[in-house]
Amino acid sequence: MPLPRPGPEPRIRCRVRGQVHGGAQPEVGGAAMLPALSRCRALLGRCRPLPVPARGRKSRHDPPAKSKAGRLKVPPPVDPAELLVVSERYRQYRLVLQALRVEFKQEVLRKQHEERLDRESGEEVMEEHRKLMAWNNAENERLRKKREERLRREEEELQDRKLQGALNHARLMEDFLKQKEREVLQLQEEARNFITPENLDERIEECLDNPRNYNFAIDKEGRIVKQSMLS
Amino acid sequence: MVHLAHLLMKHYHGGHVAIRLALGGCANRPFFRIVAAYNKRARDSKYLEQVGCYDPLPNSHNEKLVGLNIERIKHWIGCGAHVTKPVEKLLGLSGFFPLHPMTITNAERLRKRRALKAITASEEETPGD
Repeated sequence: MPLPRPGPEPRIRCRVRGQVHGGAQPEVGGAAMLPALSRCRALLGRCRPLPVPARGRKSRHDPPAKSKAGRLKVPPPVDPAELLVVSERYRQYRLVLQALRVEFKQEVLRKQHEERLDRESGEEVMEEHRKLMAWNNAENERLRKKREERLRREEEELQDRKLQGALNHARLMEDFLKQKEREVLQLQEEARNFITPENLDERIEECLDNPRNYNFAIDKEGRIVKQSMLS
Repeated sequence: MVHLAHLLMKHYHGGHVAIRLALGGCANRPFFRIVAAYNKRARDSKYLEQVGCYDPLPNSHNEKLVGLNIERIKHWIGCGAHVTKPVEKLLGLSGFFPLHPMTITNAERLRKRRALKAITASEEETPGD
């Protein structure tokens, strides 16, 4: 089987739709080259075969093999100079990215704001607003007239009732006064026949002179008999 | 007072939108779509919007093609979407973002390794002659 020859590195070609912000020019592509390179290196035997970690046959709960008993897992070697350089690059990269994010957010907000303005200040919107205001005013007028009519009617009814009440009261007072007058007259009438200290002697004489007999008899048919054996 | 109405109306709690690669294609023929999707969704499941594509296999002119909808990417990032590393690298290579630090670092390492290989190859040749 022929060895896979490392061909020329494939370029990444971007078809981009939309406006692109200025960024650094791409220097070297070919992230897919690395595994191919490592495979070639392993086959040629120049370097140690690089261990590729993969959970193939065993799950995490299976015990490790006896051949791996003395294995020492060593983290990959780190070049401090390169680490410094890479950290600085990351810091600058994140700074630029944060600025970009803020700018995009502002753009989104601006677009939403403009859309809202367009929606709220069009010709049709103004026309509709005016129509609605006119309709509202008409409704208010109608209801106001109704309310005033009702209040006027209620006012009239109140006045009528007050009048009626006053009339009733006057009538009652009149009746009362008349009643009292009648009683007074009747009393005056009766006072003429009262027995006073001046009349006393004459009335006694009169009663003694005219003996009256109040006895009477009545039977079941209702015939009254006033005359009796005593008188 | 506890304001619960907004939480009840939300149908996705505690997550965020991510712009990432969704794998498609056939056996031995991958193809990625650059997609804006909710973070917790499966890689290939329902997404909010497709925002580009990426073909990892080089074509007949030895190019890997990438398509990007910059307007919509800007909109999603403006709405607070996260971007995964591979998409960041692609955007850096396209020029929309600055170049990713690891792209530069890997390129430098490759160059150093190639220089070393060239030196060792030339050293092996000269004693041979």
